[in-house]
Amino acid sequence: MWELIQANKRKSFFLFIGMTILLLLLGYFIGSAVNPYSGGITGIVIALIILFILNMISHFSGSKILLAVSNAKEVTKKVHPQLFNVVEEMRIASNLPAMPKIYIINSPAPNAFATGRNPKNSAIAVTAGLLSMLNRDELQGVVAHETSHILNRDIRFMTYASIMLGTIVLISEVFLRGMFYSSLAGGRRSSSSRGGQGQLIIMIIAIALSILAPLFATLLYFAISRKREYLADASAVRLTRYPEGLASALEKIAGSHEELKTATKVTAPLYINNPLKRKGRKASSLQSTHPPIHERIKILRNMAHGANFSDYQEAFSNVKGSVKPIIPASGLTDHEDIQIRKGEAGKGKIKNARQSKRNLEDLMLNVDRYDFINCVCGLKMKVPPGYSGNEILCPRCGRKHKTIK
Amino acid sequence: MIILELHQVEIDYCPDCKGIWLDTGELELLIEDETEKKRLLNSFKKQEHTKEKLYRCPVCNKKMDKVLLDDEGDPVMIDKCKKSHGLWFDKNELYLLLDKSNAGKDNKVLNLLNDMFNYETGTKGEGA
Repeated sequence: MWELIQANKRKSFFLFIGMTILLLLLGYFIGSAVNPYSGGITGIVIALIILFILNMISHFSGSKILLAVSNAKEVTKKVHPQLFNVVEEMRIASNLPAMPKIYIINSPAPNAFATGRNPKNSAIAVTAGLLSMLNRDELQGVVAHETSHILNRDIRFMTYASIMLGTIVLISEVFLRGMFYSSLAGGRRSSSSRGGQGQLIIMIIAIALSILAPLFATLLYFAISRKREYLADASAVRLTRYPEGLASALEKIAGSHEELKTATKVTAPLYINNPLKRKGRKASSLQSTHPPIHERIKILRNMAHGANFSDYQEAFSNVKGSVKPIIPASGLTDHEDIQIRKGEAGKGKIKNARQSKRNLEDLMLNVDRYDFINCVCGLKMKVPPGYSGNEILCPRCGRKHKTIK
Repeated sequence: MIILELHQVEIDYCPDCKGIWLDTGELELLIEDETEKKRLLNSFKKQEHTKEKLYRCPVCNKKMDKVLLDDEGDPVMIDKCKKSHGLWFDKNELYLLLDKSNAGKDNKVLNLLNDMFNYETGTKGEGA
């Protein structure tokens, strides 16, 4: 297991170097395009400064930023005791040094992600839609998948990579927009007065690079994130000893048509399933952040013999029809016989549509810290956290109720 | 504004002024009769000059329009968000509107509103 983590750390390093080179190239050419004499060096220096600042930010608060842009809110055990239970269970199973912080995203779209600097400072975020849709075994599968991301040090890599990708996108956008507006404002003067042909070529390279760099960075980021999903699935099964739980959860997630509005191109690879649903795109294209979900389900359901990595690899080869190793060789040497346990995936949580919608809405209000007052007459009052009065009169029976300040 | 729930129906309610907020599309859900629904929804008429105070939309906080509903009988003046976030009914207005429309005595929503706010008797609670 340790070597799997080492392999991941190595890959993170290469990705980091790759993205840094891309960023420096971008800085050099944009700098040269702006000022042909000393601009290249200035561009590199500026890119390095931005990189340094952003790395500091992503090291100390990258996960906070990602959680904030995803509109995730930290919750207490009172809001969803079962979720806390399941996370605690997986923390013990995976031997994490600290309990991950738990966040809920107020969205009916079922999805989840993990983030953080290291296993000591990690967080798991799930959407309200996921909680209302899955039973305990399925939720356990999803939480185990996220715990695996924490355990495999994917979270740090993903957090860094998404901030780096964000930087490259940002610099390119600023440059391209700047070009566009300066050309509108009579930029012809500067291009014809100095430079000449060499300058024109550099300008073209700078423009091409600022269009292509975000694409390259995205491809690099996505390529590695796809493989990590398989690995996290495999580790999740090892933790829960119950592949059907995750399979059934993925099936429910794939079947949902709700859209996660807070997900962006940068945060998409973090989630358990790609939150950006685009019509008419082939699921397994280069740009996809995740392996096709139906393939993941098929592999999980193919695991008949046991829950170890070698069993996952066997199922993977069966489904994909190739012998390409998805689990690093070190993970396959462990031949411990891990039996699959019995569970209740697919059962439960089938209430009428109205009731489950109401449960989902109540959960979202709970996350938003609404106060729930149940009057004895049967009327339920849901009071927002900023409510100004000290007491509320039940409009049905006239009883007075105190509000929590 | 607080949310009230009774028999699995939710209503946004202001405990101070007893007004009711309906998000866009909720009024349509409340009226069961199809022809009545169409007639009522087509009867929206914007009022330019009115003495009634202009309210702000609880969603976008922009000033709302005053609109007349159901101008065939006794019209009811309600507030409608300019950005179509929803409708605001002052105390009793929603009940009056649904009572007047040909929903009849069997209208579940009418009964629910009655039950929730004691509109008919008005003795027990503060709602009427």
